[in-house]
Amino acid sequence: MDRRNGDASSTVKEIIRFENVTRRYGEGGHILYALDSVNFSINTGEFVVILGPSGAGKSTLLNLLGGMDAATSGAILVDGKDIAGLPDDKLTEYRAAQVGFIFQFYNLIPTLTALENIALTKKLVKQPMDAHEALDMVGLADHADQFPAQLSGGEQQRVSIARAVAKNPDMLLCDEPTGALDSETGLAILEMLQRMSRERGKTVIIVSHNAALAEAADRVIRIRSGRITGIAENPAPKPVSEVGW
Amino acid sequence: MLTLKMIRDMARNKMQFVSIFLMAFIALFIYAGVGGDWRGLKHNSDSFYRETNLADVWLYNDGFTDAAALAIESLEGVSSVERRLELTVTADNSGSSTLTLYFVEKGAISKPYLMEGEPFDPEDKDGVWLDKRFADANGLTPGDTIGASLSGYSMSKTIRGLIYSPEHVYEAGGDAMTPDFAMYGHAYLSRKAFPLPFLFRYSAMLIETESAVGADFEERVADALRGADSSYTVYLEQANHPSVSIFENETQQHKMIGDLFPVVFLAIALLTILTTMTRIVASQRTQIGVLKALGFTKSAITRHYTAYGFFLALAGAALGAALGPLALPSLFFPSLSSFYTLPEWETAWSVAYAWAAAGVAVMCAAVTWLAVHRLLAGAPAETMRPKPPSAFRHNPLERTKLWRRLGFNAQWNIRDAPRNPVRSAMAVVGVFGCAALVVCALSMNDSMLWMRVWQYETINRYAAKLAISANASTAEIDGAVSEVNGEAVMEASVEIRANGVRKSGALLVTDGVTLIQPTDVNMKPSAFPDGAASITLKMAQSLEVRQGDTVQWRVYGEDEWLELTIGGIHREPVSQGLTMPRAYFESLGLEYRPTAILTPEVPPALPDGVDFATLTSDSAADWDDLTEAMRLTIYLLIIAAAILSIVVLYNLGLMSFTEMERGLATLKVLGFKSGALRGLLLTQNLWFSAVGFALGVPGGLWLTRTIVALSGETFDFPVSIRPLTLLAALMFTFGLSLSVNMMFSRKTRRINMVESLKAME
Repeated sequence: MDRRNGDASSTVKEIIRFENVTRRYGEGGHILYALDSVNFSINTGEFVVILGPSGAGKSTLLNLLGGMDAATSGAILVDGKDIAGLPDDKLTEYRAAQVGFIFQFYNLIPTLTALENIALTKKLVKQPMDAHEALDMVGLADHADQFPAQLSGGEQQRVSIARAVAKNPDMLLCDEPTGALDSETGLAILEMLQRMSRERGKTVIIVSHNAALAEAADRVIRIRSGRITGIAENPAPKPVSEVGW
Repeated sequence: MLTLKMIRDMARNKMQFVSIFLMAFIALFIYAGVGGDWRGLKHNSDSFYRETNLADVWLYNDGFTDAAALAIESLEGVSSVERRLELTVTADNSGSSTLTLYFVEKGAISKPYLMEGEPFDPEDKDGVWLDKRFADANGLTPGDTIGASLSGYSMSKTIRGLIYSPEHVYEAGGDAMTPDFAMYGHAYLSRKAFPLPFLFRYSAMLIETESAVGADFEERVADALRGADSSYTVYLEQANHPSVSIFENETQQHKMIGDLFPVVFLAIALLTILTTMTRIVASQRTQIGVLKALGFTKSAITRHYTAYGFFLALAGAALGAALGPLALPSLFFPSLSSFYTLPEWETAWSVAYAWAAAGVAVMCAAVTWLAVHRLLAGAPAETMRPKPPSAFRHNPLERTKLWRRLGFNAQWNIRDAPRNPVRSAMAVVGVFGCAALVVCALSMNDSMLWMRVWQYETINRYAAKLAISANASTAEIDGAVSEVNGEAVMEASVEIRANGVRKSGALLVTDGVTLIQPTDVNMKPSAFPDGAASITLKMAQSLEVRQGDTVQWRVYGEDEWLELTIGGIHREPVSQGLTMPRAYFESLGLEYRPTAILTPEVPPALPDGVDFATLTSDSAADWDDLTEAMRLTIYLLIIAAAILSIVVLYNLGLMSFTEMERGLATLKVLGFKSGALRGLLLTQNLWFSAVGFALGVPGGLWLTRTIVALSGETFDFPVSIRPLTLLAALMFTFGLSLSVNMMFSRKTRRINMVESLKAME
């Protein structure tokens, strides 16, 4: 399947739909709307970039989608099922089975080696990717026995991607995955994420404040002060390497 | 994989986890150790009493007939009776040892317990079964003969066996508080071995009852005897038997230590475990968030963290529970066995140890659960963010003028301490526990030293007390008194009753005595009231009477109860009862007969009419022996207190250092010298130590009072602590606190400013 050839509507399947999703913090006089009546949808296998300045609500959106936070109102449909109202244990199952997270600060378990961090997924899903294979996939086969503290930021992030992918989730949610990396390393990470979408059919959603990334995305969602300011589909996304980084 | 994470986390925080292990170990070691000790005492004595069928009640009279025995045996609730003749004789072995002889009817109640030789034979006319400790002290073995003179008739018997008697677990002959096994002993013989059959009569009746003796039993016994034309002069229940009750008091005292101290240790251990686990879990806040984000269930995460404390605490507690009962009793029993005679000295095991060990592990898991539970309640997105700094409020002190004059050091610490209330509270509790244990131990030691001075230097102004022979003539007594330049006194055992309470005590009748210095309720030298009876403070308290009140009393063995008005109250440490002048005693129609002569100096030889002498210096030495077991407890407490406080303080220090590291690093970047930073840490530590110590002193004295309250009715044990001792306790506590602090002070020099101030993660 190659969406870049244009007419793919017959094979396109919607995976995510936000309907009037609001996330409100505080009470009384100090109410803050992190998200305010947000509506959008995303199709399976898309490489999506959510753009917006700091404090726009990007991370909140990602956290809600990942079942890490609860919406104040609205529906979040994933594969047609509303996860906004799920109880805690169902959310945990959802996270384990369908979501792979990649964080700005990698969030690896410091006391486990690279390989062990990936092997953690064996506890979560029935048929995870082999940990060695996953590590090989991100080009770190030689670093299996190293602890996070012994790896560079880029390497840590690659382990984090391997860990997310090893679970075999439907979507990868990436919160500023290159935010703590230099541009060269960042580029490599983004290429890797794009490959996950193109080659493995994962729905990859990246939160970023780097507008240049828009050219590489299938779909760009712009957000400001908790509201969607624009949704654009990109009929001809460029490879990440060709984007003016 | 999570197990691997757990093991590595533990290795990273090894000091904290080692401390959890140690705290659980020490708490259970002490709990099960002291438990093994007092349970062992109880178990060993109970089984000894059971095996030898110790009498439930003793009756004394000058002769119990067959009819009297039958009357008692047919009483409801009585399973059997046995009579015997009790005689005190002087053995002819080496010098003038005193032997109590039991010529027994059957040897079925209060049976001799065979240690060596042939089993007791109630038909044997020529054999004697001798107290093993007396035999050992006098070099006697089975097959030897031993003689004694008895109402002018000398008899000689062959030692068939060496035995222990359940009625002589505690044996104190004469005035000594500690047993003198060479001088005092006992022996069992068949009644058929009595050399003068025509003079034989049963002076004691031993009763075995089916169950515990009821309140009306004494009355029923009296009625039954009356029906058989008999009576008794002394009625003694098992619990009041001197040997039984003294040993029971000892056991109770150990039990008290066993109940009290482990609670202190357990409480401190659990608090430490709680603080440690809360901190560890809090430090893993973001990791918990990550695990949650990855899709780990709450229960999987909870299990993971709960396992940290649980298995370590369980291992420590189990090891403590296993080693304690082996180690501690073997420390206590040797000194106890020099006072008390039991065939077995074995530690006792109880399922309570296992429960306590499990309890510590479960509590540890529970506190971890609580800590994790709190973090898990938040949404993963929230948990993954570092904890927002706790809200900061200015304290009222900051608005005063004093604040500006306090200096940076004090200001920093006044702000820092309330921001970490748990850590601050734990530091105070840790020092408090240490100080309380040390103060308790030292005050116990001081109190015992004080009692020694009080009794043997203040009150006893005589150098020796000579025991007058029972058959000495008045002329002999007078001659002896003038020969040693002494003062005669009469001592007896009495029963006193008032307000429905009946107590046994000692009676001292004085005849112008100057060698006994009475002390008032404040333990200051005073005088006995003129022409009136004086009662000891503790006895007055037991009977709930005051000066001017009336009590009833009688000399042991007399039928008639007399009345007297209390003319004064005095205080004595080791003996409770009545003191009265000879004239008052005689005015009641009683016959004054001196039993002892007090001498200002140790006489070179014993005058005629005197059996033996008890030296005050020996008694004081006895007191030291008696308190030996207590001293062991004291050393143990001090060691335990030291370990406890080092573990608690080090652990807390580590946590507070980690918490303050960023702040300290910032100060260092700003240009503060290491010495100044050390000062910051030290100040807080000293404050907490001061508060902990101030609370620990009353806490420790309370502990001592609670233990001392169980030292038995004959002891009046005022709890005291000398200023110098208090200073020693202060130095000990602060010394520990400071030396633990020093370990962290070194760390301030090594603070890596770059590392400490790196961005989050």
